[in-house]
Amino acid sequence: MRNHLTTASILLATTLLAGGGAFAAEPGITDTEILIGDVEPLTGPPALLGVAASIGHKIAIAEANNAGGINGRKIKYVLEDDGYVTARTIQGVKKVIEVDKVFAMLGMSGSGQSIAVMPVLEKAGIPTVIDVAPVKLLWEPPRKNVFVVGQSYEEGIIHLVNYLAEKNPGKKWGLITQDDDYGITVRDGFDSVVKSKKLKVVYSGNYKKGQQDFSSDMLQLKDSGAEVFLAGGIIAENIAMMKELEKLNVKPVTGIFWPGRIEPVLKLMGPAGDGIFAVDYVEPFAGEAGKAFLEKARPLVSEAEFKGINRYTMSGYAAAKVLIAAIERCGKQPTWACTISELEKTKNVETGVMAPISFGPGIRFSNQKLQITQADTATLSFKPVK
Amino acid sequence: MRTGDYKQTYGELVALIESPPIWLWSAVLLLALIVAPYVLNAYALSFLMIILITVTGALGLNILTGYTGLISLGHVGFLVTGAYAYAILVAKYHLPPLIGFLGAGLVPALASLIVGAPSLRLKGLYLAITTLAFSFIINTVILEMRWLTNGARGLSVQRPEILGISFDSDAAFTYLCLGVATLTLFATLNIRRSRVGRAFVAIRDNDTAARVMGINLHAYKLLAFVTSAFITGLAGALYGIYLSFVSVEGFPFLLSIEALAILIVGGLGSALGAVLGTVLIVLLPEAARLVFSFFSAQLDAVFTTGAQELKSMLYGLVIILFLRFQPRGLVGAWHDIRRAWVNWPLRY
Repeated sequence: MRNHLTTASILLATTLLAGGGAFAAEPGITDTEILIGDVEPLTGPPALLGVAASIGHKIAIAEANNAGGINGRKIKYVLEDDGYVTARTIQGVKKVIEVDKVFAMLGMSGSGQSIAVMPVLEKAGIPTVIDVAPVKLLWEPPRKNVFVVGQSYEEGIIHLVNYLAEKNPGKKWGLITQDDDYGITVRDGFDSVVKSKKLKVVYSGNYKKGQQDFSSDMLQLKDSGAEVFLAGGIIAENIAMMKELEKLNVKPVTGIFWPGRIEPVLKLMGPAGDGIFAVDYVEPFAGEAGKAFLEKARPLVSEAEFKGINRYTMSGYAAAKVLIAAIERCGKQPTWACTISELEKTKNVETGVMAPISFGPGIRFSNQKLQITQADTATLSFKPVK
Repeated sequence: MRTGDYKQTYGELVALIESPPIWLWSAVLLLALIVAPYVLNAYALSFLMIILITVTGALGLNILTGYTGLISLGHVGFLVTGAYAYAILVAKYHLPPLIGFLGAGLVPALASLIVGAPSLRLKGLYLAITTLAFSFIINTVILEMRWLTNGARGLSVQRPEILGISFDSDAAFTYLCLGVATLTLFATLNIRRSRVGRAFVAIRDNDTAARVMGINLHAYKLLAFVTSAFITGLAGALYGIYLSFVSVEGFPFLLSIEALAILIVGGLGSALGAVLGTVLIVLLPEAARLVFSFFSAQLDAVFTTGAQELKSMLYGLVIILFLRFQPRGLVGAWHDIRRAWVNWPLRY
């Protein structure tokens, strides 16, 4: 009788353990698939970055799927549009986690939107790699499950101003920034270099987000005699500023920031954009790495998607590569804990589109190396500056 | 033989709820809302939270636009003021959340005095433009007062703990939103049946006649503004907590338009209309997505990746259809159905 009881107990325990194992399986994983979620602005003006980033994710996923997927499981990409509205980003993230039950998250819309979804992501504990808008609040303080690929806006602007200051000693400076978080960051970065390099600032302007007409601002810039100009707009604003300067027949040495460093901007600026400097942490498409990336991307996306590729595609691609590699290292039964642990162990991972990516214990920000590029309107490209 | 819906006493005319069955159904609805956080997943719960917060805001706007007939295009200004007032008091100065909520009501109420003052002379489109200007001005003030508001960088807001009760979880925060929305609903229903509410409606229907009847237009219009802004500010505080991050960008101008759409679709001047309109406008895109997903996976994909453009189109379409076929909104439709049901086979 005792033997029967023991056998029954062992059988029951084995069944429970097996059952428990099945219950313990992480969401978003089946025998054949792994689901990765993303929320981006896919409609409205910010779609220019959201769509491009999602294309980058798709390229990395298609590349992995073509190579057999993650340990035999194909990756399925679940993409949701937030229209750049914070409340909808929160709802979108909750949908992909709770309804679609994804295993991991990528991307994550703009800076304000990413900051707002941090409590949701942290509470869920889902492995997340952010790549669109790297702002300090996303990695300071570090959150266990959230990793950020990129470089801070502050560092970017400091790098650009230092470069321009070295190349243009003793010149008079002008700056214009947007009246939002992005603009403040640009200004703070600029101010920190102004103090250390003792730059002579003759014009300092601020414009309202959505402003279209920069005639009076650029006239003031001209009157101030600024020789080096930091255009703190994003896309349409920088184009309008450069066109206005062209009309006024002045051509200061101009620097722009990476949110505006996309090739279609040069087409719209025309000759006015020739020679402007830009800072970025992803490779320019005119360089060897950029060309290789485009070659790789062409067969993996549709023609329409290929046309939508810009620098955000590269940052999206790199983030997806890092996440996929981390899940892969977890073997046949990946879990959130293992993926987070493997993401933390990411060391000098080569993606081909930016400097190697590393994280570490308590380090959730990849702190990418920056480089300066210069616009060439003849080829409508940004070329690396030697 | 008695037919139709007669009111035989003055008490019946001003009753909070018309009949016992309505009390019963209201209790059932409240019970369902209390159970909902335990049944719904986080995504569905987020809709419930948004509905409850929006109901509070829409009821606030309904006092001004629905009851008093003063059109406001800038109510998002009061919403953002309320959110910032709460965030500054609680997140920046670490005051108790209850003080934060009080501030979230009082600060927009004070601001409404500034906007309300021109309303003594302006009406219709002119007033609408004035309120619109207010919403832009308030954004600029917030951005410029960096020392207080943190400017464009915004302020992070934690879920509150009130009287030892933590509202950190989604379920608990839903109860907080439910409590505020229910109290607001009762308050606005009571305002409507009071002397003040009747004065608001008299101003809406004919302000000259209202003045002849002895209603102080200046005082009542200002009171409508202050009450509306107070309630909208509370909704702003809840919305800021929901977002967990208060910034000017989180409160786009489109929210003002959405609020007006809610009132039009629900039925202007009716608290029930504000509730029904909110439910329809908030759930419409999701419902449309669900319906389309039955027909084709591709249509479902279009709704998820082009969601916001389709949502805007749906809102526009619904407003046009309501204005054309049911200008009294959902409440009007409900009254028609009820009358047809009660009086069948007779017609009125």
